[in-house]
Amino acid sequence: MGNRFRARRLGVSLLAMCGQAALVDAHEAIITNQTSDSLSFVDTDAMKESARIEVKGKPAGIALSRDKATALVTAPDSKELVEIDLASRSVKRRLLLGGGPVGVAANPVRPEAYVADWYAHKVFVVDTATMKVAGEVKVGDSPSGLALTPDGKLLLSADRDSDAVSIIDVGTRQRLASIPVGKRPFGITVDDDGRRAYTANVKSDDVTVIDIPERKVVGTVPTGRRPYAVALAQGKGFVTDQYGGTVTVFDQSSLAPVKRIDTCDHAEGIEADALRRNVFVSCWGEDVLLRIDPGTLKVTGKAPVGDGPRAFGKFLR
Amino acid sequence: MLKRLVIGATIVALAPLSLAGAAWAHGPSRQKVSESIEINAPVDKVWKVVGNFQDMSWLPVVAKTEGKGGNDANATRTLTLKNGGVIEEQLDRYSAEDHTYSYEITKVDPKVFPVNDYSSRITVEGEGNKSTVTWWAGFYRGYMLNDPPPELNDEASLKAVTGLYKDGLAALKKKVEGGG
Repeated sequence: MGNRFRARRLGVSLLAMCGQAALVDAHEAIITNQTSDSLSFVDTDAMKESARIEVKGKPAGIALSRDKATALVTAPDSKELVEIDLASRSVKRRLLLGGGPVGVAANPVRPEAYVADWYAHKVFVVDTATMKVAGEVKVGDSPSGLALTPDGKLLLSADRDSDAVSIIDVGTRQRLASIPVGKRPFGITVDDDGRRAYTANVKSDDVTVIDIPERKVVGTVPTGRRPYAVALAQGKGFVTDQYGGTVTVFDQSSLAPVKRIDTCDHAEGIEADALRRNVFVSCWGEDVLLRIDPGTLKVTGKAPVGDGPRAFGKFLR
Repeated sequence: MLKRLVIGATIVALAPLSLAGAAWAHGPSRQKVSESIEINAPVDKVWKVVGNFQDMSWLPVVAKTEGKGGNDANATRTLTLKNGGVIEEQLDRYSAEDHTYSYEITKVDPKVFPVNDYSSRITVEGEGNKSTVTWWAGFYRGYMLNDPPPELNDEASLKAVTGLYKDGLAALKKKVEGGG
């Protein structure tokens, strides 16, 4: 309950400060169906797909703009970042990046997004007003997942083939630190306070917990086989276990294991909604989106989507 | 480590040296294959043939299955193929009740089977005297960098997996239906 109240307060203050939409429950999930070159729009109350559009280039990573009016989607096959207008459900602009775009994150404060380049070991800085590359930052090898602190000041990249996480100062576009984590970190998530980051380490079957201001590892949580990404809700961490077909749940403060929820084959993208009332999981192996209640730890809904849903990033609005 | 060495050797042999530093990166997108076949036999009878992780004798290209751990999670098996190729696999998920198991390849030379990060699931469903067997896989192509050679590109890996599954399921049908 504490989280929910805090989220509401935060919502009200945000609304007062910058006139943006307050934190509200998610009502829609935008799912990148990589195998079938499409995006599914899912009504998350009814747990039913409401629309599907074609997006060429094997869409994988996703981030939503501050106002949640547009989605930015990486297309690794066509090496592009694709901007989608979510109201009209149509492709607005495409930016050819080259290399291997994977993870993408949108800054909650600045008109900027960041795209990890799997092959060139750097992160592109994209001006989201002009949809042009505004700069780049050297990171470790094969950056994959990206996440920002809530103040938009620090960017974290999971550098998969360096077994490390880079912390980047967004203002100066400098890498401040590289922190060794488990083997092959892929997804990375930052908590609401901007205090801790959690990486899912594909090859060591665990999650590394980083203290961001201290720049050090504060714990490791064992997971199921091939953890992919992490979501946080109601004081718990939720990890998709790609090969294990489960979601590993752990306690966010003690880091002790809570439960392993049987979910689906190739559970991949995972995100908690703004009020932390639900956690959504895309199942690449079964072409569905699942809804999990973070209180009861039960699967409460299932929506069929397109072939090969990845939803790597933030996909709820 | 061994897997990395094997793939490393292959990539260095195939790619200009300037690319070697970019090794271990994935191909751009993961591939998916799903093949099914109908078998005129009850689920239990089909499961008896395919449901033992330690016995791949129903798959014609396999000469020998050796392994440990039975059908428990993390069990392993080594398949020796009739052409001499070797594939090492690990069991990730097993349910006798649901007639399904999932496994992954932990070590293979892309020249033997042109895939990387391959995981697979086999499921038997049905009613009465009819069963459907579905063999599903997710994997990356044999070449992990951009611009793959033709024998290790997406199409080559899809063709190899699809061909194996079609032939394997046809042989399974024959074995179960013909086996009394």
